[in-house]
Amino acid sequence: MRDMISVLCVSILLAGASRRLVGDEPQSAEPPGADARNTGPVKPDGPRPLAAAEAAWQIDKQLQLELFDGKSPETPRSNDQLFLRRLALDLIGRNPTPRESKAFASDDTADKRSAMIDELLDNKKFGENWARYWRDVILARQVDPRAAFVSRSVYAYFTEKFNNGSGWDEIARDFVTAEGDVRENGNTAIYMAQMGRTAETAAEMSRVFMGVQIQCAQCHDHPWDRWKREQFHQFAAFFPRVQMRSIREENRLRGYEVTTSSNRRSSRYRRSGEHYMPNLKNARSRGTLMKPALFATSQSLRTGASDKDRRESLAKWMTSPENPWFARAFVNRLWGELVGEGFYEPLDDMGPDRTPAAPRTMELLAEQFVANGHNVKWLFRTITHTQAYQRDSRPRRTFTETPFAASCPQPLRAAQIYNSLVGALGISSRSSASRSSRSSSSRSRSASSNYLRSAIDRSFNFDPSLPREHVTRSIPQTLFLMNSTTLNRAIDARSRRTSLGRLAAEISDNRALTTEVYRRTLAREPSARELQTCLQYIDQIRDRREAIEDIQWALINSTEFLHRR
Amino acid sequence: MGADQLHGIPASPVTPVTDGYRANTHAREQIVMTNTVQHQARVRVNRDGVVMRRDFLKGLSTSGLAAGTLSWTEWAAANTDELRRQGKSCILLWMSGGPSQYETFSPKPDNQAGGETQAISTTTAGIQVAQNLPKLAQQMQHLSIIRSMTSREGSHTRASFLLHTGYLPAATVKHPTWGSIVAHEIGDPDNELPAFVRIGSSRRGGSGGMLGVEYNPFVLSRAGSKPSHSTPTTSKKRFERRLELSAKLERDYEESNAGQLVRDHQELARKSARMILSPKMDAFDVSRESGSVRDAYGRSSFGTGCLVARRLVEAGVSCIEVVSNGWDTHRDNFQRSKQLTTQIDQPAAHLVADLHQRGLLDNTLVIWMGEFGRTPRINGNTGRDHYPRAWTMALAGGGIQGGQVIGKTDSSGARVADRPVTVADLFSTFCKSLHIDPTKENMSPIGRPIKIVDGGKPVDELFG
Repeated sequence: MRDMISVLCVSILLAGASRRLVGDEPQSAEPPGADARNTGPVKPDGPRPLAAAEAAWQIDKQLQLELFDGKSPETPRSNDQLFLRRLALDLIGRNPTPRESKAFASDDTADKRSAMIDELLDNKKFGENWARYWRDVILARQVDPRAAFVSRSVYAYFTEKFNNGSGWDEIARDFVTAEGDVRENGNTAIYMAQMGRTAETAAEMSRVFMGVQIQCAQCHDHPWDRWKREQFHQFAAFFPRVQMRSIREENRLRGYEVTTSSNRRSSRYRRSGEHYMPNLKNARSRGTLMKPALFATSQSLRTGASDKDRRESLAKWMTSPENPWFARAFVNRLWGELVGEGFYEPLDDMGPDRTPAAPRTMELLAEQFVANGHNVKWLFRTITHTQAYQRDSRPRRTFTETPFAASCPQPLRAAQIYNSLVGALGISSRSSASRSSRSSSSRSRSASSNYLRSAIDRSFNFDPSLPREHVTRSIPQTLFLMNSTTLNRAIDARSRRTSLGRLAAEISDNRALTTEVYRRTLAREPSARELQTCLQYIDQIRDRREAIEDIQWALINSTEFLHRR
Repeated sequence: MGADQLHGIPASPVTPVTDGYRANTHAREQIVMTNTVQHQARVRVNRDGVVMRRDFLKGLSTSGLAAGTLSWTEWAAANTDELRRQGKSCILLWMSGGPSQYETFSPKPDNQAGGETQAISTTTAGIQVAQNLPKLAQQMQHLSIIRSMTSREGSHTRASFLLHTGYLPAATVKHPTWGSIVAHEIGDPDNELPAFVRIGSSRRGGSGGMLGVEYNPFVLSRAGSKPSHSTPTTSKKRFERRLELSAKLERDYEESNAGQLVRDHQELARKSARMILSPKMDAFDVSRESGSVRDAYGRSSFGTGCLVARRLVEAGVSCIEVVSNGWDTHRDNFQRSKQLTTQIDQPAAHLVADLHQRGLLDNTLVIWMGEFGRTPRINGNTGRDHYPRAWTMALAGGGIQGGQVIGKTDSSGARVADRPVTVADLFSTFCKSLHIDPTKENMSPIGRPIKIVDGGKPVDELFG
């Protein structure tokens, strides 16, 4: 036993050492110089902005230098089918339709992947998909269920910003300086989720926008972080004047608004409008008065500054290129979501005392993100253009293996699962139902799809900041997919109202029918073996409608359906 | 780890690293390790390199014993604690909204603060409870009352979180709720039923948090009905045929570099199917009880919930939370408290008596509490408002000696006058009853070790 443990631990140490060595290899001290294809205006300070395809090329090259001895990793490029499903789920949150898959497969232009990336980034589902993601990043950490008041508006806010090509710096400034009714101002979401509490708000602003969990220093100096307790509380001192005020009509709570204590001098909590670092030895004392200061850049304000000064200064300082953590946090998160592993893991726990995998690659990407005006779509375009993104999929690496040698399977988020079910089973979603006739059947179908969306949201949602190996499926989720009457009604192959029923009626050939079900559900055709299994099953059951229901059931309950490779 | 350490395993085979940077990297890589190894042998290594004993034991049959690294005697020695814990369970009767101590277990008929509520005698000489609890008064020999609970949180959300997790809500660590902790620490992984079941609707009860969704409560929104989605929509035969087909169709994906994903997924599917096809699902079905038993518990939803809780304890479920709503008596406190106590008095009393009669009470900790108490002052609406400073809760079973009162308040009940008990003390007491080590650290996803209970000392007088 003793031996087993020592072996385990020694291998842990060795692995740690070898990984650091790889990262520290001095062979690529300089980022590759700008080559002839670089275009774009030259900024006086900082690198010249590269277009996405060029930037992606440089990222891959840098990654090779840093991690793969200058060579290409062995994992091959993904095939078109796999790439398209991955890209569609990642960018617009749903499977490609059979028609889209066919068109992509038969397209033989050389830059079809690039063209597809552009097309999907222009789809309005792109903004919706990533708005849900960021809503969940913020609301997963809510300290009060009343945060639900901001749920719709924060979704609307992000959808619009992502679709209209806004910069991440603009979005972050909006969040820091947010005011007003949370039901109309989605950028109030962090204040709402933390009920305006000073320390909690500070912790979340730092985590979400800088990827730094400085709140660990809230109560004590963290043994292995350089930022100290005092610096956390100085950061918190940007927020003591923010308050949530309830909005009541006829004695009922209707919402909240973000307001400042200068509007409400009577606040019993923050009479002074200042933040004090608690005295840990004496809970009754007021603690130490803190001046607002940003730990990452050491910029500070005097105490007594107005709320407007505090939050506007912070918004400016936090998003300026002087603060490297701002761009790194976004780049790291997005890289992690798309490639399957971040430079830093967990995605929101970075900082000067952590070691990223491939630091120079990350730095190159972060610098270019800044040079490109924090343009969110640029970053999506760049990462999805890299070979690192487009490679075939391999299981999550063990930590002795080199990172980014392959893409990594990701569990789908609730909305992606819902969209995939809607696509596979032809359940009408709300928007299409409201466009169609107002017959009672379409109303009831739309009601069932609303029910389905909220049931799946409730059951399958997870905090997107969690390392993916912590995201596990549960028994209630599994039972939902197996036994939900809504889903089982939707796979009724005897009904003319379900898409499976219509398909079974239209296609008499079992091979073609099976293939179509695979296309709709998994965005691919069945392998020869799968086809054989299905055809044998249909023969064995004899009742082909019953058999195709079972096949459809098996596919929506499969691992592949719930993951993107 | 503390007392939880396995015999013969060195505290840390790794020389402690003082360099902060290295220590950090090291700890973080071990977390990665945890996940990798967990899948293979279900052995977990914490940040000091110590194998988590429970997980280790779970994995023994496949790894340790098979590899011959541990003799049977060593295994048995390691397992004693484990055996002692087996069969322990907990029922939390949660009074959502904050029950009035004056109208339940701490009447003050001689003080203005006590209002109109009178006190009655119990089976234990010298202990009185409010007239609203005549049935529980008859079980006083099994009950202990803590009249000196004290905390600071007066908002429902924060106080409910505190009294469910032992911690205040934080944006960065999701503390697990009590039932999830119990499931994680003493749940039987081989039981077909989930280790933590919550009965009734609860918005503020918390979840598995950082322990993961597998420790979330299995929610039964209506006592007496079957859990949602637990009935196949087809015949059992066809359901099983579908599962078989599904496993068969996974093969290609499994062989295309997704082996572990598929195996985990199929394992979960098997577990889910095993659960809903298990005869133990009958534990949810109260119609299998005689009419007289059902009447003894009461046919209300809370009564049915208590009966289901007892059936689940018999079926090996580790923690059952039964929720009673509506205790936020800002208006008409006296009348509403009477209605509410009527709903819970008989069911709770019969639950304790029934557990005792079946020989289950010694191993089952029953907790009755809400998130705080209510004010000594009776407000303009004859109501009482939130009052965390001095309040009351009650316990039975699980090694707790009945017929006791712990602590007291001053004459009006405004302050704790003797033996204050904090929330951390209370959670340490729960842990002691269930043989859980309160100092054990579980790891948050960013690698921060979180103790099951942060400080506090068990109320030792409660144990015989």
